Amino acid sequence: MTKYSETVEKGIDGMRQMAMGNFDLGWMDSNPEGWGQEVERSADGLRITDIEKGHYAKVPEHGSSHGSMAPRGCFVPEETPGLDQYFLNEMSEVWAENAGALYDEAVVRQWNSVTDIPWDKLEKLPDDIEKSVCQMCTGLTEVEFVAGDMPAQWLHRINHDFHEVKLFLATQIMDEARHLDVFRKRALANGGGLLSASPGNEELLGAILTANDYTTASALMHIFGEGFVLTLFRQGEFLAPTEVEKTIFRMCMQDEARHVAYGVKHLQYLLERHPEREKEIHKILDLGEQAIFSLTIEPQTSEPRAILAGGGIENIELGMARMAFIYQKQVKEYLSRLKIAGLDRESRVTIPLEIPDLGIAA
Amino acid sequence: MADSTTFPSEEWFGALADVMSEQRGLFEPLGAIDCTMVVQLEEPEDQELIEVKFKSYGVDSVRSLKSIEEAAPEHFTITATLETWREMIDNIILNGRPDLEHTLNFLTFPDEPMIVDGPDQLHIDAFFRYNQSLQLFFNGAAKVASE
Repeated sequence: MTKYSETVEKGIDGMRQMAMGNFDLGWMDSNPEGWGQEVERSADGLRITDIEKGHYAKVPEHGSSHGSMAPRGCFVPEETPGLDQYFLNEMSEVWAENAGALYDEAVVRQWNSVTDIPWDKLEKLPDDIEKSVCQMCTGLTEVEFVAGDMPAQWLHRINHDFHEVKLFLATQIMDEARHLDVFRKRALANGGGLLSASPGNEELLGAILTANDYTTASALMHIFGEGFVLTLFRQGEFLAPTEVEKTIFRMCMQDEARHVAYGVKHLQYLLERHPEREKEIHKILDLGEQAIFSLTIEPQTSEPRAILAGGGIENIELGMARMAFIYQKQVKEYLSRLKIAGLDRESRVTIPLEIPDLGIAA
Repeated sequence: MADSTTFPSEEWFGALADVMSEQRGLFEPLGAIDCTMVVQLEEPEDQELIEVKFKSYGVDSVRSLKSIEEAAPEHFTITATLETWREMIDNIILNGRPDLEHTLNFLTFPDEPMIVDGPDQLHIDAFFRYNQSLQLFFNGAAKVASE
């Protein structure tokens, strides 16, 4: 009678064979096509874009049918079991030509909220300014991690042959974790705290998380949502009352621009191959545009920025007038990015290109 | 004749490129930078243009352009009057870095007194993607002035 399970007994037998000098060594010659890879390091170091050459650069239009986690370019033994986990198996569903380069860029541009923000430069601010900064940070803490939740929702469904995309999305999740963290920290770090959540935000966040497929979710989040937030980060730097907020917004701006760049190139890649999908992309953008417009009029979203733009609550109207151009900028940049992606939306955008004259002077 | 103290000139940007190279250690934690910036001086009778190509942790090339058509296709432009450029640079020299109202983003965000533009939104977005590095590059003006 054996003492151990069949699997363990087989393993022990195998070890006995090896101890007697009976080795297989078949793995050594298992992948002749992938052997002898020549790699040239770039001036930046060794990037993923430096190693994915020749045999390893062949990204299949249809991801591996074995459905395992075997790395692209290796030999996959016939008996390798599929995991039945991946359903994003078409390259066009997830790919962007810049995914590898953006991953390289993201890993070297990581920063942290513990030591990279000059927290020692925080200073006591007038109550209305501190409250406005805290409200702005509350809103950003609320929205930022949708861009972590959304990729996380799809990441484990993406075929392993598209690892550049998986890696890039993993950096995005970390970026968004850092954004949630840094805005929450700022809200709590200067004697204030979190203020009001935004029901309007939830509408847009929900649309991103419940989108039918990855590409429509990506168009709504990477291009539309993150494009608008990128402008808000630029505005945050502009309005920042101290070096602390300036640094936070500048660092977040850089991260956000990478996410937008992936979204634009992914949509471009998809539409070049599947122009018939234009209609569904337009449809989800219709939804996003309506949601963002209702968000714009929420007091907890627009008023703190108006107070900061005016320099205090006594000048909130002036601040409102000064902010009017931001919306126009957001819409212009959004439409330009879609155009690069191959989607002409100017003729069917469902929101005004600029805020009508509100009758207040800047 | 232009020298490293004359803005805008190839020599001035060359001097900034040297500072970037000397201070590579400050740029590395920010990450490599891969974009082309065209600095444009907007004066009624003059439109001076200098193209600065960034690669890795340094400047790949600096050149004067006769017209914007000569610029590398993947560029973005930053345009302002000489007075605005000088004010920004003087502020950097005075403080060693810009104060809150003289950062590149602060000056460009409202599209005045500076404007960031370009033929392609994704290349304009490079200004946002590498903003901290670009800011640090211009902060080199303080070191150039002190030498």
